Parts: sequence; C-alpha cells; structure tokens
Amino acid sequence: MTTKWCLAAAMAASAVLWSAGVYADDASFYAEAAKPYKGVTIRVLDEITPLQETLSKIVPDFEKETGIKVEWELLNHFEVINKGQADMLSGRGYYDAVMLHGFQLGPMISAGVIRPLDDMVGNPKLANPNLNTSDFIQQPFKTAAFANGKQYSFINWNYNQVYWARADLLNDPGEQAAFKAKYGYDLAPAKTIEQMRDIAEFFTRKKGAMLAGNPLESDFYGIVLEGIKGGSTFPTLWGNLIKNFGGDLIDANGKPNFDTPQTVAALKMWRELWTFAPPGIAEYSLVDVPTVMGNGIAAQSIAWSDFVLGIDKPGVSPFAGKFVYGPIPVKAGSTAKRSAEAEPSVTVISAASKSPEATFLFLEWLADKKQQDKLITLGSGGVPIRASSWALPAIAGSANKTLYTAMESTLEVAVAKPKMPKFYEIYDVMSGIAQEVGLGKLTPEAGAKKGQAEMVKLCADKCLL
Amino acid sequence: MTSVTDTLPATAAAPAPRGRFWYPYLLIAPSMITLTVVSLIPFLYTVYLSFHAAKFGRVTEFIGFDNYLQLLGDGRFWNSMGVAAIFVGIAVPIEFMLGLAGALVLNQNVRGRSVLIPLLFMPTMMAPIVVGLLWKIMLAGSWGFLSYNVLERFNLIGETSAFASPDLALYALIFVDIWQWTPFMMLAFFAGLQALPLGPYRAAAVDGANPLQMFFHITLPMLTPLLVVIGLLRFIDAFKVFDTVYILTGGGPGTATETPSILANKMTFEFWNIGEASALAVLVWLAFFAFCNVFYQVAKKRLNAF
Repeated sequence: MTTKWCLAAAMAASAVLWSAGVYADDASFYAEAAKPYKGVTIRVLDEITPLQETLSKIVPDFEKETGIKVEWELLNHFEVINKGQADMLSGRGYYDAVMLHGFQLGPMISAGVIRPLDDMVGNPKLANPNLNTSDFIQQPFKTAAFANGKQYSFINWNYNQVYWARADLLNDPGEQAAFKAKYGYDLAPAKTIEQMRDIAEFFTRKKGAMLAGNPLESDFYGIVLEGIKGGSTFPTLWGNLIKNFGGDLIDANGKPNFDTPQTVAALKMWRELWTFAPPGIAEYSLVDVPTVMGNGIAAQSIAWSDFVLGIDKPGVSPFAGKFVYGPIPVKAGSTAKRSAEAEPSVTVISAASKSPEATFLFLEWLADKKQQDKLITLGSGGVPIRASSWALPAIAGSANKTLYTAMESTLEVAVAKPKMPKFYEIYDVMSGIAQEVGLGKLTPEAGAKKGQAEMVKLCADKCLL
Repeated sequence: MTSVTDTLPATAAAPAPRGRFWYPYLLIAPSMITLTVVSLIPFLYTVYLSFHAAKFGRVTEFIGFDNYLQLLGDGRFWNSMGVAAIFVGIAVPIEFMLGLAGALVLNQNVRGRSVLIPLLFMPTMMAPIVVGLLWKIMLAGSWGFLSYNVLERFNLIGETSAFASPDLALYALIFVDIWQWTPFMMLAFFAGLQALPLGPYRAAAVDGANPLQMFFHITLPMLTPLLVVIGLLRFIDAFKVFDTVYILTGGGPGTATETPSILANKMTFEFWNIGEASALAVLVWLAFFAFCNVFYQVAKKRLNAF
C-alpha cells in the first residue's frame, strides 16, 4: 500500500515537473518568437459571454510574456457579428483578429477576407512545436478551423447546447407517481425527444394548479426554447430535432434537401413543443431562455451551456443547484447519426491585418494548453476546447457534474456549420419558417415545402463553398 | 445728340458691382457644399451601386437593371411594401385624427395646459430605441408589465404576447407608433391653431355661425397647408419606420412586420447584398418621389394648400 502511494506520489510529482517544463518551454517559445514584433499593438474583437470575461484576466499575461500589446474588445453576440464582419469586408483592417461563429465562416471565406494560416503554421519561427493540436476536441476543431484544404484558425470556443431540467421537480415523489400513472414509465431527465415532449406536456399547468405540492402563483410551462427571429432558433431546431430525426438542410452533395418526411416529422415535434412553452416564445433569444429557466417558470429547456454557467450559481437564480443536465435527447428508435447543436467558433486573422504574425502568435498562445488550463481553473469550470481539460479539477471535481457530462456528450458529435456562402439568407428564411411552424401559422408540411423552395431559389443545386 | 443712356428711365437700377453679384452665392455656399457631401453624393452612389453587382462590399460589374428585376420578382420585397402600407394606412390617419382632436381641445384654454403640453411631448422626445425597449417591457409575453402583470393576472386577456403573434405583432407596432407620434401631431396642430387670426372668427360670431360651422368654414381651410405638410412628413417618416420594429420584433414573426427599412438593413448588413439593397432604396425613393408629386398637385389644386 505504502509502495503504491509512493509510486503514485512520484508519478504525480514527475507529471507536475514535466508539465511545468513544457509550460516553461512554451513561455520561452512565445517570448522568443515574439521578439521581432515587440511593441506591436494588435486589436482583437471577441464576443462577450461568461467565458470571455474570464479570458480577459489572462490576456495581460500574453503582453507580459511577449511585449505585444493586445487591445481586447468584447461585444455582444449580435454586435460582434455585425461589427466584426463589417470591418473585415471593408478591408480597413481595424481589427487584426475577429471572432467568428462557425456559421459565419462560409460567407467570410467566400468573400476572401480571412487570412489562411498555413504559411505560419508551417513556419518553425512561429509555430509552437508543443501546441499539440491532437489534444483539441477533434471534430469541432477539424470542421471549424479548416475549409477546402486550408487552415483558417485554431479553435477558440466550443459553444454547445445541453438538455436542462429542474431536478427538484423530476425528483418529487408526487410528480413521479403521477407521471408514471399517466405515461407508463419513470420520470427522469429526457433521453429521447418523445420523453422531452411528454415531460413538457405533463408539467404545463395553469395558475392555481399544484406543482410539487405547492399551488402555482402563475402559469407554469413544460419547456422553454429559443424562438426569436434570428439568434439560434433555427440551429436549435436543425441540430437537435431535424438531424436526430434523420433529416437535414442539404444532402451529401450540398443540394437542398429540406422537404423530406424526416424533416416534416421533426417540424411536427417542434410545433408540439411550442404548445407547451410560454406564449412569448417567439420573442425569446438565446439570452432569454436561461433567464426564464433561472426564474423558474419552466420545467426543461435546451440551452447554450456557457449561458447556463452564468445562471446556475448561488445568488443568480433561486433554483441554483436544483437543476440537472443531460445529453441532447435523441429520436426514439432512430438509426440516424446522433446529433447535438453546437457552434464551434474561432478567431480568425483578417486579410487586411497589418500584423498577421503577431496576431498568429496571440491566437496560438490562446489555444495553448497552459492558457486553456488557466482559463478553466480561473472560471471554476468552462467549456473546453481540449480533451485534456475534462480531467482538470475544476471540471472533474465540479459540483455540477451532470452539466459537464452533457457538454462532453454534445462535443463528441459537435460539428461546425457547413461552409455555405449564402448561409445568412438561408438562415433568415429558415428562422422565419421555424417561427411560423412553431406558432402554428404554417403546417409542418408547408414549412418543409417552403423551406425547400427558398433554398433552391437561393443556391440552386449547390449550397456549399 | 443724346446718348441712349440719357434716355433711360431714372428708375432703372444700375448694374451691381461685380463683387456684390457673388455675395449671395458665397453666403449659401457652405450649406450647399454640406448638403452635396452628406446627401447628394451618397444618394448618387446608391444609384450607382444599384446598377452593379455588389456583394460583400465589393463592387464588381455593371449589371443594368438586374438588381431591380430580382427585387421586383421577390415576394419578400412586395411583402415589405405591403407591411409598410398597412402600417402607414392605419397609424397615420389615426395619429392625424387624434392629433387634430387633441389640438382643438388644447386650444380651448384647458386648465393646466402649461403642464399638459410638456407631458404630452414626452413620448415624441424619447429616442425610438428607448420607446422600443419601453414597450418590450410593457408587452412582453410571460413577464411584460402590462401584458402579464395586468391583463393576464386579472384574467382580462389570456396568454398575451402581442409581439410573438404573427396576427397581432403589426397592430402592436402600430399602437406603439400611435402612442409615440400622436402628441407630435397634436402639438404641431395646436401651434397652427394658435397662429390663426381672430378676425374671421369674430365676423362669423357676428353672423351667428355655430362652432361646427366655424371649424369647417374657417379653421379647416386656414389650417389646411399645415395639415397637409405635417401629414405628408408623418407619412414619409412612418413608411421608413425602423428602430422600434428592429427592437420589438426584428421584422418577425416570420416576415409579418418586415418593413422595407428592415429588409434593406438585412440585405445590407446580414446578407451583404449591397447592390440589391441599393436598388430597394432607390425604388422606395422613386415611389415617394411619385407619391409626393401627386400629393402636392392634389393638395395645390383641390385643397388650395400651397
């Protein structure tokens, strides 16, 4: 026993020493590589979420390490898209690097405003040999950072959606008995889309009805989803329902393929779920969904995990600690490849950047294991881009274990959006259709037909780059 | 022999010194230059863009009327024009009537008028973005102050979420516009009423005219130029509505509240179809130009407004 302990301690100590060695090597690599660019100022535009707020504390380390000054600007989801794209497309190059969501890559690559990284990745003076890209969670990295055989970025943010429910309600004995009596199986976090629908129906109650033994002061809803025009309404439907039902926007050749029976079935389910949601669902954005869950007027949701991190903590929501998370539910009995909505996102170097090398070093430094470990530790958790991050104490020892299990499950299958030059037009039309089907203004069949017609109109028979 | 100049009438003005001829032009030059730079050049550039393929901010080739044909064949463009027509067709007449009625009441020396006027002006003084946020808070589904805490809580109306309903969203926006702009109409008309001469009213009173006759035969004819100008300005402004729609519905649900301004914004800053967006702007301008000309002629001939 003592021998085992000694061995374990020795191994742990050597691991610490080895990683310290690697970290020291990394630090000296960046300091050395940055010498020609000392004193250069780079401007970086990123999105503001709880993750970036933590990252802001780390950015000054890069300045100390390299002498390269970083002006780090954070804007909200919609502003970072508009302002970032406008700057890149104008060719002014005010920003050296801009954060892009996966869905922006198609239009931006086709506009030729992103600088490919291949020459710098292949340059030993700039490429850190210890970066270890095989440690990145591979599928999001490969699908987001590369296009048409070129590398455009590393991976920065693995935004992902998870299933989110009220554990206190699911574990209430009275509710459990009533649910089993009505549906014939045990009440638990939904594993299938059909179970999610049953739970949504079961918990939708009017003011005055009882919920977990207490009378309701206001209406209570079985589910809350994003439904606003724009935002991530359509991706929520596409990634979590349509794909799990075996449908998709396009076929393997990039041809519009929206009016399939699988898509119609998914749209039917989408419509049904909306009937168990708050009446204002068509106004809810990706920020409103976690807020509504945090306020405790809905039993379950599908939400972006980074926003969950900002809500499920003491002092923010009265229900903090009473939530449970799970992988995105799948279609019962489906043979389709499992899908879960995610938005692997990257920071790219603008083609108009005047300091691409200094910017490259910064992006590489951000993706480095040392910074990623620090980011997760400082944030008492986070959304990993590296597989090794799952083992960090802040995640492995987290009180919110089910959240990280759910995240890991989503990131296993997460892919970046297909690189579509006309993604915005397609997305705008589809998000309108998602709303109209959800509200019952369009039948699922008509929605699928309309979506297909619009896609054909927008990109004929090839929607991909 | 007398010269020609000797026979000229004494009243004929001597030609102005050369320096004096340029004086008025010099005075208006700064404003003309400013106007050209900030209005005319951007407008001409918009027309130029509308005839070119301009995607992602890059102008490539001259394509003639392709952008226009593409737009005129697009149901979404006509939908946006229809939305704007309904918006203007309902909001502006209501604002006009309520504004005129309010102005007539204010003109009756109402008690507390000096307090009432600044209060009435408040909605108009608010930035449209603030108006949008205010009504979002008032009418949001599930938590709106008016929709949820008043109407639903007291079971007056169930499940209200005006901005989330394709049937109600446009009417909710019209309601917000009426709330914001009726006071402006009221105060503009009130100012006009205050400026009317009292002579005709005294004469009419001597002749035994009743208030209704005075309104139709004195007030309305004398106020017509102001009514026409304010009405026209409000019509143009309402047709271009953007801020409140952007904040409250973003043009949704679906395309139920997508006005030409919202569509142009999407085309420019989301789809980056700058050529087509420019064509849309030019078409809307042409429609206004034609409408305003017809309106001016009608107002001039039929209403003696100008």
